[in-house]
Amino acid sequence: MNDRFIRIVKILVESFPKLLVQCLKITIPLTVLSFFFGLILALILALVQIANIKGLKQFARFYVWIFRGTPLMLQLFIIFYGLPSFGIYFKGFPAAVIAFSLNLAAYNSEIIRSAIQAVPIGQTEAGYMIGLNYFQVMVRIVLPQAARIAFPPLFSSLIGMTKDTSLASSITVIEMMSVAKRIAAVYYEPFWMYMETGFIYLMICTILTKLQADFEKSLEWKQPDEVKVAMQTVEEDNRNHKFRWLGPGKVK
Amino acid sequence: MLGVKNLHKSFGSNEVLKGIDFNVENGEVIAIIGSSGSGKTTLLRCMAFLEQADDGIYTFDELNKDIRTITRKEIKELRMKMGFVFQSFNLFRNKTAIQNVMEGLVVARKMNSEEARKISLAMLEKVGMADRIDYYPDQLSGGQQQRVAIARALATNPEVILFDEPTSALDPELTGEVLDVMVKLAKEGITMVIVTHEMEFARNVADRIIFMEDGVVVEEGPADEILSNPKKEATKRFLRRILRNEEE
Repeated sequence: MNDRFIRIVKILVESFPKLLVQCLKITIPLTVLSFFFGLILALILALVQIANIKGLKQFARFYVWIFRGTPLMLQLFIIFYGLPSFGIYFKGFPAAVIAFSLNLAAYNSEIIRSAIQAVPIGQTEAGYMIGLNYFQVMVRIVLPQAARIAFPPLFSSLIGMTKDTSLASSITVIEMMSVAKRIAAVYYEPFWMYMETGFIYLMICTILTKLQADFEKSLEWKQPDEVKVAMQTVEEDNRNHKFRWLGPGKVK
Repeated sequence: MLGVKNLHKSFGSNEVLKGIDFNVENGEVIAIIGSSGSGKTTLLRCMAFLEQADDGIYTFDELNKDIRTITRKEIKELRMKMGFVFQSFNLFRNKTAIQNVMEGLVVARKMNSEEARKISLAMLEKVGMADRIDYYPDQLSGGQQQRVAIARALATNPEVILFDEPTSALDPELTGEVLDVMVKLAKEGITMVIVTHEMEFARNVADRIIFMEDGVVVEEGPADEILSNPKKEATKRFLRRILRNEEE
């Protein structure tokens, strides 16, 4: 029993740097790149729907339907194994980035679209009435508020992406999960190897969660301190207000 | 100055405005009264092009044409000369009181921010909100928000301000502060069109009252005449009901 324990600890200690290196070299870049491209594409998909651009709107709906309606693993396989039948070849890493970006864009565009629609339409009307045009209303009034609404679910989607990158191991990308599998097979200690790998994923997500909390705080609309004190007296009045949940964060 | 002729508007199969004639002269204060669903808010929104009317002639200063043929550019121009105060205030929630008021000056009219700030401060002072300029809408009571919204409408120096039930979303004890501001504006000679349920207020500030029911103008005339001595049966019925409610 004692020997077994020492052996496991040895394996875990030896494998930890290997896992970490692969995490830094592949898992994190894969996540960051996919999320970045996925977000840009999502914003475009959301805006053509909001602006109601004929043709493009229908395309966006169709796109979301396809990419939300099929498994991510299948999308990976089609790009990596399927496209070569048409003479289109991708290496594992770029294929994974493409599949993850396209998939994320579908989900994130829905988050962004609903966040924009959650900003009360009355503010858009008020913007028009003081002479702003559509673009000015969007950039100055609607999008800043939509960003605050979209932020938590977008971050959830980022955290989800971090873990979904493990699927890339199925298309020959040597990311953290592939390394774990290999080491587990060599030493035949799958339980402890996968526990260790899980621990690393958990650490990344813990850091991301902390980042989210900090970002959310920085997104709050700033106010002078004397206002913060004084507003406690107005709190009472506001409880009944119908759009209360869209407002700035609660006073500490 | 601002008016419509034979204005029609339907939502689906529901005809909300059935040929409205309406106009307001420079310096005039008009109150539009009528029960809910009579079309008074829709009329106001059509005049600001927040709803697209189906038919009618639209007049604003030298502009005079079929309402269906008015271009986007013309709408933008006429909105520059118009203020609108909403029932639900619609302040920009990501901006402070003074930023709300300055927005139309700085962004839409390209005024430098120093001058805009000076004007905005004066407007917020006028509505009694000078001590709350750095507050966000959520930190203000409904009455305070509506007063900031009025300051926002005033800041661009419009030729006419349209008020869409400005006190209907407020608790009864907060309506007074908003109505007081509006009385002050009326005295200053600002042209106003006010959709309201406040009869006492209408009597005090309106030069003319328009009573609407079922999408038509039933009766219009000087405030005192309509409220004290209505000619049409529908008007009498409406006023009886309102006054009874107010006594309760």
